[in-house]
Amino acid sequence: MSSEPEVKGFSDKEIVNCPQPTIILRARGLSKSFPGVHAVENVSLEVYRGEINGLVGKNGAGKSTLVRLLMGLQRADGGTVEIGGRCYEAMTPDEALEAGIAYVPQQVSMIDSLTVAENILAGNLPAGKFGFINWKEVKQEAKRRLQKLSLEIDVRQRVDGLNITEQTMLAIAKALFSRAKLIILDEPTAALPKVDIQRMFSFIRSMKQQGVGFIYISHHLEEIFEICDRVSVLRDGQMVGNHRVAEINQTQLIQMMVGQSVSEFSRANNPISKEVVLSIENLVRRGHYEKINMSIRKGEVVGLTGLKGSGSEALAAGLFGLEYLGRGTVKLNGKAFIARTPRQALGQRLAYLPADRHRFGIVGLRSVKENITYSILKRLVRLFMIINDRRETELVSSFIKDLGIVTHSIEQKVGLLSGGNQQKVVFSKLVATKPSLLILHEPTQGIDVDAKTDIFRVIDDLSSQGVATLLISNEVRELSVICDRILVMCEGKITYQFIKGDAEAIPENILLAIEGSYEPG
Amino acid sequence: MNNYGRIRGFTVLMVVMQNLIWILLIVAVIAFSLASDAFLTSFNVINIFWQSAPLGLLVIGQAFTLITGNFDFSSESTMALTTLIAAQLMVSSASGGLDLMVFPVFSIVVMLLLGSAIGLTNGLLISYLKMNSFIVTLGMLMLLRGIVYAVSSGNSVSNLPQMFTWLGGGTLFTFTVGLKTLGIPVAAIFLIVAFVVAHTVASYRRFGREVYTVGGNRAAAETAGINSRKVILKVYLISGLCAALAGWLLAGRLDSVTPRMGTGMIFVVQAAAVVGGISLFGGRGTFIGAFGGVLLWSILDSGLNILQVSPFWIEVARGGLLLFAVFIDAIRVRFMHWLSHRQALAQSTIGLEVE
Repeated sequence: MSSEPEVKGFSDKEIVNCPQPTIILRARGLSKSFPGVHAVENVSLEVYRGEINGLVGKNGAGKSTLVRLLMGLQRADGGTVEIGGRCYEAMTPDEALEAGIAYVPQQVSMIDSLTVAENILAGNLPAGKFGFINWKEVKQEAKRRLQKLSLEIDVRQRVDGLNITEQTMLAIAKALFSRAKLIILDEPTAALPKVDIQRMFSFIRSMKQQGVGFIYISHHLEEIFEICDRVSVLRDGQMVGNHRVAEINQTQLIQMMVGQSVSEFSRANNPISKEVVLSIENLVRRGHYEKINMSIRKGEVVGLTGLKGSGSEALAAGLFGLEYLGRGTVKLNGKAFIARTPRQALGQRLAYLPADRHRFGIVGLRSVKENITYSILKRLVRLFMIINDRRETELVSSFIKDLGIVTHSIEQKVGLLSGGNQQKVVFSKLVATKPSLLILHEPTQGIDVDAKTDIFRVIDDLSSQGVATLLISNEVRELSVICDRILVMCEGKITYQFIKGDAEAIPENILLAIEGSYEPG
Repeated sequence: MNNYGRIRGFTVLMVVMQNLIWILLIVAVIAFSLASDAFLTSFNVINIFWQSAPLGLLVIGQAFTLITGNFDFSSESTMALTTLIAAQLMVSSASGGLDLMVFPVFSIVVMLLLGSAIGLTNGLLISYLKMNSFIVTLGMLMLLRGIVYAVSSGNSVSNLPQMFTWLGGGTLFTFTVGLKTLGIPVAAIFLIVAFVVAHTVASYRRFGREVYTVGGNRAAAETAGINSRKVILKVYLISGLCAALAGWLLAGRLDSVTPRMGTGMIFVVQAAAVVGGISLFGGRGTFIGAFGGVLLWSILDSGLNILQVSPFWIEVARGGLLLFAVFIDAIRVRFMHWLSHRQALAQSTIGLEVE
């Protein structure tokens, strides 16, 4: 590693001549906040040349915000980024590219219908006589460049004919051709078949040998240990650790990711009745999930977790009628459950809290009062369909008191409340419908600790009143606190079940199960 | 503390901006009364209300569709077609009718049903077939106007029965001011009643609540179990019905129906609604504000006419007012965003830990 990097005629002279280790990028004290949330707070990060720096953290820990700051796509509220001896306070995307930072997203987007050669030279195609393009030269040049990276891809092939591995590698190669010094890889192996991962890794390693620095974002922790030299851990927007991978083990890494003090809330073990509220048998939706079997009993709080695309989110949306549910037997309170629209689901006493609060949850222009009673207006009207204002105000006031919604009046526009209070308003709307099954999708996303505790308390209250709850979340520590059972979904199947109180039901194991690498015992 | 004071200061500004229409109205009234003695007379005030009645009805229909985030450009043609058919049913061929001499009450029923049917068609196309409201109603605007020309063969219909013209042209409670004998126009009373009903529906009935929700955030409305397609269907039904009523009022005042009745009026309707604070993006605006918009528009028309300003410059003034209204609306939206960010930050406990 410390030896002089191999020179394969790589175009960037600067890299070749620099002694190792040199810092490519140094970010100091980066902060970025959005209303109500500190997405990234005082984060410092250093990336050396010829080094792969892993970046891990749960969803919402601030990884993507950090990347956007480094790419100049968002302006930091504070802090500096130093690249190649220059210090930037606010970088523009152009400056970031110029400085040699390149980002390879999870889903590489290239001009699909063009050939590999055209893609590589896109933007500066060599023009021949009369402005016509000299295609022969294009192919030769593309071939020459790929050979430098010892990448064997047929340059005449169309990009949509390549497999995902090749497309990703081509994207990395393209970044290098534009003289990138630091490449940010966002889950490069997420969509790859197992065999190709090693091929990708050896390609990344050879680039590393040539002095390129990488930031490697991944949810797969084994990969981090396999390919990274160092790993940085983000949690709730803060950099909680930066270690050489040789110095730590997977358990320590997970502990850093999960944290200790998420919530002081603890929930007693309520006796759960035998009565089944929701039962699902052999539910299949092709491409999303298959052979789902589960049941939730009265008063039970069941957690459902999994990576993005594991099927847990689709299942929740399907049950509420927002998406196609699939084929299988679903029963709610003993009766066959069919809901093609949210209206029908609500009519069968199933309420759903969407993860995207702003799009599906609140009507920001309207008041707290109106937002809470949308789903129950039918019960509030009297003669001539005029809304009974006194009853409505009483009801809304009781919710504001019970959930501790901070608002100066019930006529306050919901758009002007903080995230936690907005979430409580949505919660009140659901509870007002008196549901028998409550599906909550990331109920604590983007809200502060106090609001989280309030929401947990309400879930607990509802459960003791016999409401069954299905909680879809990636916050494993929160799940392990609030849930009676936690189901883990992986690639469309329910793979594990953790029961509260069991020795194995600890957040670390759940996180491993989510990533598909938990072996019980 | 200082910060809070600033926010409170802005809240005052906010109140001013929310009620801008009434401030503008007062300014306009004062300015025109100073400029001309003929403006603030009972004769002219009565006239302003009388003239604004058809416009007011069209604005009510339009406001409902705008609040759901949709347009209805077809209402001026709907108004012309429904009124023309009703008029033709009632009068002799000498006056441009069909010689059917239908009893006025029956023809009024036909007229209102036809207006509702046109609205229903618009609504079905837009809500259930998910066609774009702008294009659907623009097409309808042309199509219905074409039918009006075809059905009337370009001829006006006049000599309408008194029972029909009473609503738009009749007066109640006559009284004498100086040498003139004046009466309160039925149309003016009808206008005010219509706005009171519209305001009640929008602010106190379940349907009104749903209209605002669908316009404010359709996805959230549907997630909350509101049938947004039905709501949109209903607002178009209302719009069609209001157009027919507007035609009834206008025909009554003019005592005739011309094939060109209401052409170009849709722009005035949209402008009056926007000036009155109805947002083109949906979800915002009240019927009280819209009523103010209608009045301001009529006052501007009447005042400039009394001052004998050239019609060309009246058009300039109208355009200027519309641009000003949209400008204020844009500022209001920006201000709201700014305020929401501030308040959200101020309330979040995470935000307080920074210092």
